[in-house]
Parts: sequence; structure tokens; C-alpha cells
Amino acid sequence: MTTYVGSRVARVDSVDKVTGHAVYGVDVALPGMLHGAVVRSPHPHARVVSIDISAAEKAPGVKAIVTGKDFPQLFGSAIKDQPFLAIDRVRYVGDPVAAVAATSEREAQYARDLIKVVYEELPAVTDMRLALADDAPLVHPDMHTYQRGGHDIVPHTNVNTLYRYERGDVETAFAEADFVFEGEYSAHALSHVALEVHVAVAEYDEYSGDYTLWVSTDRPFFLRDDLAGGLGVDGSKVRLKVAQVGGSFGAKGVPIAEAIAAVLARKTNGRPVKVELTREECLIASQLRVPAIMKLKTGVTKDGLMIGRSADVLWDSGAYTAYTVGVAIRGSQTIVGPYRIPNLKILSRQVYTNKGITGSYRGYGTTQVTWACESQMDEIAHELGIDPVELRLQNGYEEGDSYLNGQIMHGVGLKETVEVARDEIGWGSIDRQPAPHLRRGKGIATMIKPTMTPSSSNVVINLGGDASVQVICAAPEIGSGQDTVLAQMAADAVGVPIEDVSVPATDTALTPYNGPVASSRTTYHMGSAIVSAGAEIKEKVLALAGDFFGVDSEYLEMRDGEILDEDGERLIGLKDLLAKFHGEGFSLTAGGRYSSAGSPLLKADPGEEWISSIFWMFCTQAAEIEVDTETGAIRVVKVAASADVGKAINPMTCEQQIEGGVVMGVSNGILEDFKIDNGRIENASLADYKVATIQDSPEIVPILVESIHNEAPYGAKGIGEPAAAATPPAIGNALFDAVGIRIPDLPITPEKVLDALAAKEAEDL
Amino acid sequence: MTIRIDTTINGDRMEIDVDPTLTLLEVLRENLFLSGTKEGCGVGECGTCVVLVDGEPVTSCLVLAGDGDGANLETVEGLAQNGELNEVQQAFVNTGAFQCGFCTPAMVLSATALLRDNPQPDEEEVKKALGGILCRCGAYPKILEAVIEVTGEGA
Repeated sequence: MTTYVGSRVARVDSVDKVTGHAVYGVDVALPGMLHGAVVRSPHPHARVVSIDISAAEKAPGVKAIVTGKDFPQLFGSAIKDQPFLAIDRVRYVGDPVAAVAATSEREAQYARDLIKVVYEELPAVTDMRLALADDAPLVHPDMHTYQRGGHDIVPHTNVNTLYRYERGDVETAFAEADFVFEGEYSAHALSHVALEVHVAVAEYDEYSGDYTLWVSTDRPFFLRDDLAGGLGVDGSKVRLKVAQVGGSFGAKGVPIAEAIAAVLARKTNGRPVKVELTREECLIASQLRVPAIMKLKTGVTKDGLMIGRSADVLWDSGAYTAYTVGVAIRGSQTIVGPYRIPNLKILSRQVYTNKGITGSYRGYGTTQVTWACESQMDEIAHELGIDPVELRLQNGYEEGDSYLNGQIMHGVGLKETVEVARDEIGWGSIDRQPAPHLRRGKGIATMIKPTMTPSSSNVVINLGGDASVQVICAAPEIGSGQDTVLAQMAADAVGVPIEDVSVPATDTALTPYNGPVASSRTTYHMGSAIVSAGAEIKEKVLALAGDFFGVDSEYLEMRDGEILDEDGERLIGLKDLLAKFHGEGFSLTAGGRYSSAGSPLLKADPGEEWISSIFWMFCTQAAEIEVDTETGAIRVVKVAASADVGKAINPMTCEQQIEGGVVMGVSNGILEDFKIDNGRIENASLADYKVATIQDSPEIVPILVESIHNEAPYGAKGIGEPAAAATPPAIGNALFDAVGIRIPDLPITPEKVLDALAAKEAEDL
Repeated sequence: MTIRIDTTINGDRMEIDVDPTLTLLEVLRENLFLSGTKEGCGVGECGTCVVLVDGEPVTSCLVLAGDGDGANLETVEGLAQNGELNEVQQAFVNTGAFQCGFCTPAMVLSATALLRDNPQPDEEEVKKALGGILCRCGAYPKILEAVIEVTGEGA
């Protein structure tokens, strides 16, 4: 029985956020603080010939200038390929070259503009297909010498990731299939556009050699280790204090402002340095979604049974790999979709290009491959004359099916998500032509998302003598409502009122190790750790109560701050019990740990159980859209969005994630469009890179499907990442339903719609 | 060089000496430590820096501090009185009309201004009034629900 889990508890960060009291990374200000500014490359690829800082050094207010030679170490998660500041060459427009710290932001910017960098331009490769060519310029000629993890690369080329997966015999399957569908689809670069820019304040203690940074991040320990790598020190010498995070969506996990602030702080005699990127810098020089070109071939029987699929996926990491290697591996697996297909062959390659860094973006590869997979599903359904809903139900995963690695899946609510979305959108009926120039259509798309495995979460729960409970963990609140959900689980696990529970801010020197707040993993992983630690606290309190009342504690229970006997009658309040025993000065702590074992690689030996993902998430979206045949503009009228969340710890925060995911999906799918010329982003502003406003937001009906996962805390899985992935293909499929055209290359812009309508008209004549 | 501006901020009349080249946003955040007003772009494209100038929503990154002279300014810090949230803030809490919270001050202020002028806006009027403020978390459906809740028209 739970008091808080499953309830629409108001978010614990409510009052701080509606009153403006919440302190974000951009709000951090320290005494004596300096401000930084960054010199960035104007070229996609060039050798740095010389850097003249003599004029800048004499500029008013300047306290420090750093260049790449001050910090020559390379950092990176899968491949150590990136310096904090360019050492001898720049690899994209925006690559940081030097930085200045001065007493004000304006002085820093003035001095920054006095730094003279001489470049020798090099041939650049800015197209991922051309990066594969034998004579392509190499973005990293020394790639083979870099430290890296266990994944494959192709030395002396631009291919920084090579991954293959095969099972069964796909060629025989294609030969036996009644129909073979082939298509090529692409997903474009996107910016996260977290409204809080990338920012950090860094301080260096020259006596201890310790760096302390106030940051806005979703993955404190990963970021700490990347920073330590680039600084050339142990992780323990870098301490991160995490403020409120003004949005991340995967962006705030690699050193961007943090690296610049840290290297400047090293040279300012102990004065802290704040580095706050401009919006333009965020758009060109933070991270982007990894663009992908996906060739997909699927064999089906005339009855709609999918029997074979091959995929050739090309990913564009940009100038450095950051977190893209995992995207290229995990993402390519997910192109199979949530379908039972016995014969599979996947080739995934990722190339360096002379463009901005790409990386993790809400969905970690899923948004790209879901576009390809679900577009082709719709083509198959229409060609075979099978209802698109039925085709998905026929081939979709069910409870107990095995995943690509043979692992048996539990908590599979896929089909229910399809059915409820179908019912909510009113599948099968539509007002086709509400006005002479308007056409309406409906489309559906579904998806599967694994979670990061292996990964670990640790927590310390403290019960104070005043009966307050602190949930001490390194899980920053990035907007998802996670503090609330963790507090709900802790309140029920310990048995105290949620008002008495707090989740203090992350500080890597105080909060135990946690994997990233990413991959929709926190509720499950940290929740499991909290349930374990909370149970121990409760057990110890009940032992005290048992001693006090002279009863065996196993007949006692604690709920919502009350000690209850075996009949559920109140014996005493927790506060009174603690006062009788200890009063002030009392503190009881318990640690909890959850760690999933396994590997994202699908290489189980026969007979061995190999965990590829500790759980899977499923989301389905059905969209109704309206196409203006005169302008090509699409208006998304309604989206029915269902998600299998396991147990909804807080239905309201689950709805927030689904609604926000759909808004982001609409924006990604039909609005956001970078204009890139020879590696240079030409529309690096929010006026020209269009992000959805409330006026673009459709009617959204979020529907929660709860297929309880038995090993999960209260049955809960995750929700944040998958919610945006199914929207673009649902819109694309609705476009076909409305006017009979398909746009294989995202985004679906009015220009492409008009061109396709004209082409169709010419063809129909 | 500084100029003196005579202004009222959240009901407090004050005279402040400021660098005339600073924006109103910079003065609020850096001189007066009213950091509830956020900066998302600095060039008038995201709407997160909205404050009310004589009751009207204004992107404070686009006006100079001197424009605050003689004006009545309201920032998010001034909305709650005596520990009580205003009705828009309370509706945002009730419906969960925020996620990361970075756009929330601008949304709450703009919705408050709208409802003072037009206590019964329909959905299209609410969308128009809030259409200049980006929320990347996509809290729009619940923001709309919150504002409509204040009008008493909600379900």
C-alpha cells in the first residue's frame, strides 16, 4: 500500500519555480568573479599557425588568457579525441581556440576580439557521404593513436565507429519474402535549445590543486571525469556543484562552458570565472542531434509477417565523438523497431565531418531510427492493403518475447499503447476536406527504447532527529519532475510525509556516485536504490518502536510518519518516538545501491543470459494533421500519445513528459531546420531556427499504460526519452493519408510538401 | 558615466544610478539581484526575460535601463504577497504548468497581465498572449490549462 506513489503530488520544486526563487547555473555569482569570452574558429578546417595575444593582454580588466597549448590533454567518453581548446588545428566553425577572463563580460569580449589568430585553411569534409570517400580529407589523421574503449574504428579513414549485428539469414529471408521494401530516410541535425544557455563558474585552489565548479548538468560524474581528463588530473580533484538546470534534453553532459571556465580559473590567482555562452554559441558550438542517413530493406509475406530486415545506417558525429559512439550502436539496433523479425543484418558506421559536435539528444538515436522504421511500416501497410494499426499489432512485441540478444522481455505494454492511441484519435473516420484548400489525414507510429545498461545508482538516506528525511543522491533536477518522483518513492519507502522529505542539490563531493540523468533511467535505478535504503531506515525505526512498546517489530508498520500496530492502529507519531529516544543530535542513515549488469552490445554466448537493457519503453502516437495544399504548411491538429511507463509514480509528471515530448516532436519534425553551408550554420538564432511556441502546440491527449515491471521500484520504468520519437513519423504517415505524398528526409517543410504535391500532380496526369 | 533613474519595482520606489548602456534585464539581474527574470537569448527572440512595464509585458533584454525611468516595473519576485502565491502562480502549481521552470517567470507574468486586461480570455487569446515565450520543455498544454483554470472556465 502506498500513500504517495501513484498520486498526482504537486511538484516539490513548484514554489521555487513559480516565484523565480530557483537558482539556476546562470544565476550563480561569487565574490570577485571574473567573466570569460571565447575565440572561435571561423573555418570548418584549418591549421592554427599562430595566436597573438599581446594586444589582448594589455586590454582593460584582463586577468587571464588561455590557449590550447596550456592544456594539451585530450578527453572523450568512447574516444579521447577532443582538446578543451584547439591545439594545432580547428575542425569546425565554432571550435574554441583561446579564451579570456576579465573583470566584466564586456571587457572579456573586447579583449577576445583583440586576439589575432592566423589560420591556414585545410580542405574540409562537411557531408557525411563524402566523408566515406577514399580521398576524403581526414578530420582526425591520428585517430588510430587516440585512447579509446572497445568499439571498432576504421583506421586512416573518417569512420570513428563501425558496428555490425546479424542474426539468421537475411538474404534467404528476402528471397522467400513475397514483398521486399527498400527505402532511404534521413534525420537532420537539431539543437536541444535548452532555454538556459551553457554556463559554468569555476574556481581553482592553487594550494590543493582542486577545481570547484558550479554547473548546470544532467550527468555530474561523467562530466567530472571528462573535465578531469582534459585538465590532466584525477576525478577527485574536480568537484561539481549542480544548480537547477534550465533544460538539458541531453545537451548538458559534455564539457562546453565548463572546460573553458576551468582552464581560465587555473590562471586567475584563485578568482572564480564565469563562462556563459551566447545563444548563437549554443547553436553552433554546443551539441546537435546526430544526423543520420538510413537505408532500410524489409522482407514481408503477403499476409504482413515481417521475416527479414537489413539496415545500413550512416551517422555524422561532427568534429569530435562526444557521446555519439553509443548513439551509433544503440540507435542502429533500435531500427529493428518493436517488432519480431527473425532475420536481421545491421551495418552502422559513423563518420567525422568538419561540422559542429553532435551527441546525445532526447532518445539517444531513437528519434532518428524511429523515423525510418515507422515510415517504412506505413509504406508496407499501404502496399499490402493492411491497416497500419493491424500491421503493428501483428508483428509487435508481447510480454515474454525475446529481444535481439535473446533476453526475455518483461513489462511489454506495446500493443496496449497502439490500441489506446488508435481509439483516442478516432482511427478510421475523418473530415477529409474541411475547406477547399485543406486536407486532413491521420497517421500512427510506435517505438521501442532500451535504457542504458549497465549503470549504477547510489543513495544515502538520512533520517534526522526532527523526523526529516534527506535523499542524498547525484540526480540533478533537469525539469522532468524527478526530485518529486524520488521524494514520493522515499516517502513511501521510509513511511513519512512527503513534506518532510527533501532531495538536496547534487555535489560530487557529497553525493554518492550516480550514472547520468539520461536514458530515462533515474526513476528505475535511483528508485531501486531508494526503496532499498528506505526499507532499512524503516526497519531500524520499527526496531526502536518495538523496544519502546515491548513488541516484536515485525508486527509494526510505519506509514506517513505514524507507527502502526498490526491492526493498523496508531501507536505513536515518528517525531514523538524519536524525541523519546534521542531527540536532537539523532541521525540515522542507510545506503542504497542499484547496479544493472550487462552490455549494450548484443553478443551473448549461446545459453548465456546477457542483459542488453534492464527494461524497455514503448510509446505510440496517433496524429491528425491538416495540410494547406496552397502553402504546403502542416498544422498538427491532435496527437493521442500513449506510453507504457510501468507504474506511473506521478501521473502528472508522466503527462508532462509525454506532452513535452509531443511538442518537441512536432517542432523537430516540421519546424526546426538548420541551413548549413560548407559546415557553417547560417541561421544560428531563435528567430531563424524555429522552435515550437504555444501556438504550434496541438491538442495532446496523453495516455498512460501501466504494464508493471516486476523488478522495478513499484513497477516503474521510464518516460522522458521516448516521448518525442514517434511524433515525426506519425505526422509523416498522416501526410500520406491526407494527400498521398511521403517526405523521406526530415524535416517536413512546406517547400518539400509543395514540391511533392506538384510532382504527384504531374505523375497523376 | 551613470544616469539616475527613478522607478518603482515591485511596489518599492527607488532611485538607482546605472550605466546608461545597460539593458533593463542587466540592471534587474546584475545590479538589483532580481535573478528571477531570466535571459535565454539576449536579443528578443525567446521571451524568457519578460517583465511588466506599466502593466505591459516587455522583453527586458531589448530596452535600456533608462526606459525604466518613471515606470512601474513588476518582476516575478513581486507577484506573491505575504507568502501567498497569486492566482496564476497557484494555478501553475495545481496543474503542473512548468518543467525546468526557466520560462515560468515570463509565462506567469504575461498570463497575469493578460488576465488583468481580459479576465475571460478564450484559448486563442491565451495562446496569442503567450506566443512570444518559448518553453522547450513543451509545458504548453498545462500552461494553457492553468490560465484557463484561473478564468473559472476549466473542467
